[in-house]
Amino acid sequence: MKTFNRRRVTTALAILASSAAFAAPALAQDEFPSEPITLVVNWPAGGGGDRAGRVLAQYAEKHAGVSVIVNNVAGAGGSTGVRFVAEADPDGYTLGIFGSSVVNQQYINPNAPAVDSLAPIALFGPDPGALEVRTDTGIETLDDYRKRLEEEPGSLRNGNDAPGGWSYVVAALIEEALDVQMTKVPYQGYSPTVAAIMSGEIETATLPVPQLIDQHEAGDIRILAVTAEDRHYLAPDVPTFKELGVDLVAGDWRAVFAPAGTPDDRLAKLEEIMMATLEDPDFVDAAKNAGFIITPANREATITYIQKADDAIYPVLDAAGLVKARKK
Amino acid sequence: MFSDVAANLLVIISTPELIGLSMLGVGLGIVLGCLPGISSTMSLAILLPITYSMSPEAAMVFLIGVFSSSVYGGSVSAILLNIPGTPGAIVTQLDGYPMARQGKAGEALTYALLASTFGGALGLVLLLVISPLLAAAAMNFRSPEFAAATVFGLTMLAYAAPGSTFKGLMAGLVGLICGMVGFDTVTDVPRFTFGSPALDSGIDLVPLTVGLFGLSEILRNIELGSARTTAVATIGRLMPPLSKILPMWKPMVRGSGIGAVVGAIPAAGSAISVAVSYAQEQRLSKTPERFGKGAPEGIVAPEAANNAGVGGSLIPMMTLGIPGDSMTAILMGALLLHGLRPGPALFAEHPEFIAAVYVALFLALVFTAIFGLAFIRQIVRLMRLPGNVLMVLVALLCIVGAFAIRNNITDVYVMIAFGFIGLVMGRIGIPIAPVAFGLILGPILEENMRRTLILSGGDWSAFVTRPIAAALLAVSLAAVLYPMLSALRRKRRAKT
Repeated sequence: MKTFNRRRVTTALAILASSAAFAAPALAQDEFPSEPITLVVNWPAGGGGDRAGRVLAQYAEKHAGVSVIVNNVAGAGGSTGVRFVAEADPDGYTLGIFGSSVVNQQYINPNAPAVDSLAPIALFGPDPGALEVRTDTGIETLDDYRKRLEEEPGSLRNGNDAPGGWSYVVAALIEEALDVQMTKVPYQGYSPTVAAIMSGEIETATLPVPQLIDQHEAGDIRILAVTAEDRHYLAPDVPTFKELGVDLVAGDWRAVFAPAGTPDDRLAKLEEIMMATLEDPDFVDAAKNAGFIITPANREATITYIQKADDAIYPVLDAAGLVKARKK
Repeated sequence: MFSDVAANLLVIISTPELIGLSMLGVGLGIVLGCLPGISSTMSLAILLPITYSMSPEAAMVFLIGVFSSSVYGGSVSAILLNIPGTPGAIVTQLDGYPMARQGKAGEALTYALLASTFGGALGLVLLLVISPLLAAAAMNFRSPEFAAATVFGLTMLAYAAPGSTFKGLMAGLVGLICGMVGFDTVTDVPRFTFGSPALDSGIDLVPLTVGLFGLSEILRNIELGSARTTAVATIGRLMPPLSKILPMWKPMVRGSGIGAVVGAIPAAGSAISVAVSYAQEQRLSKTPERFGKGAPEGIVAPEAANNAGVGGSLIPMMTLGIPGDSMTAILMGALLLHGLRPGPALFAEHPEFIAAVYVALFLALVFTAIFGLAFIRQIVRLMRLPGNVLMVLVALLCIVGAFAIRNNITDVYVMIAFGFIGLVMGRIGIPIAPVAFGLILGPILEENMRRTLILSGGDWSAFVTRPIAAALLAVSLAAVLYPMLSALRRKRRAKT
């Protein structure tokens, strides 16, 4: 077995030994950052959000010059972690990597913090949605899919999150864009949804491409189209909705945030660190292997991006009767 | 496949670094598993970044070592302190802790270790021999089957509760209601939160069990004063006599079977398998009254089930690319980071890698058994600490454990509240274990029942038209009706 590399194993052991020791002592006090930075992930360990946070934290250490520690603060559909960051000292040492739920939850959950209690630092990248069907449904194109639902509305059962989650939102947006009606079935997270579509309990799903790419290649599942500007690098054969003449770009995204009120010079420094990390080729490789699309964007562009997402999502949530707070 | 496994075994055991990594993984896994609040999932997540620079095989050898041994580690604190180190160990302490209190802590740990190793080995064999078959069968488990299996689990547990079945059911209901707090899983609407952000996250299993079992024990000690302050003073001998170990093969086989099969069902989780295997042993036992008072079967069966589940949970991941639980989701994440995607393609194209995973699990089992046996005496020595010192340590662990699971201070308050609830329940003779079971099974039942009805368009016959679901429900019904009927008959006979 050629893959066993003596040096890599030894390096790993060395890293393990050094990580057991305490973080490097603080540098000069007036220099920022001089203490370890906490990166809050608002989901439990093991999920996609957690994986994104941990890869980012690992490579950000090099550019920050201090350790970056991942802290999973989970619960309440992601809101607990967001509140943790929003209420933290705005000194730039507590950051969070959050997805589109920061925008959604402020409308769904009256207790969730508003998105303007956070200051965006940089965009990690989008996690576009896709529409997948079981091959045994005989549906081969997006057109077939539309026709099937036009003939028998609600006849295809789609696996998605509970109404506040983003794969539900993607499903709702697809319904709206194609003017069809599916039966939306809620699952707790991606893995149960994958299991359900594989078992045939549901016929379609609106999961991100990496979740079902292997089954797509094996021929059990067909990815009909992705809700992104460009085709997904893991599935270059799958068209976008736009290519098929449906104007739909939707999905999750992730960005790094600090609490609102963090001093501007610190935000600028954090922006510099994050942009350097997100453009680091080693990081990009690692993130790509984990199935993430990395499209770094600076503070200003991130703020615009989030505003656009906010404008797109509000009507969908409103139509689904989910807006419980901050009505527009 | 077998020749691949054999070849890999030779390669790995002749590579000192890999042996070292496996031992290191096992050592860390036992220690992290022992610590309340650090679940197997968290141990893996914490240690995952270390593997980024390793080869995929080395990463798997290390992570599977952590995964497998943390499952055993969780039962060490369950037996010695009555605090589950990992959620899967909550059943082990029902008999493990009473046994330790009787001065047989060493024996209890040995039983747990033997059962762990046996269960793990059987899980591995199943993974090797019938994984494609089992994976296909497990895919027949859909929402109606999950709902029916949970009903079955609940009826089994009604029997498992020590003492009055009625009190057991009432306690189970309390657990069910606790499980409803927080965001509804189907509609995302907050329930029973009283408008407070603190309750939005719901009541997590870990703070509840740590409070009910761990803190309430400390409170009881405070109440009783110095009379009982030393928790477990004597270790006792380490090895139970052979005549007592040998009859354990039956519970071990039954527990391992349940654990491996349930583990292979995606999203079922170890909590169901340990609960069902414990309840089953109690039902089958000729002396069910010994359960809850230190019956070795009560340790052996759930412990075997818990560890057999490790191999079982790898089945859907390796064969179908579906992570069955959060632990395998992390393992899958580790493989993805290395550009390897588990699933049918990996199985066909890289059989040598799959074989390396099996070897990694085998090594993890061997080292867990060796470390476990070698260090039992040292671990148990901890219990010789003066009672007041130990109690303070345990109280600290309760707080850390409740906090660490989600880094949420509300969970600490929840834990303290359940500490007092546990104390009161103990005083008025209501069993506390069913509360934990209710909390585990309630949300699974509700979610799957409601989803089944969404899928069937509101048609309740969906539960009886599928054979597995119908059979499970019929058995549950029989289990409820049988004692009622026999009680009725006894009454009639008494009258005449």
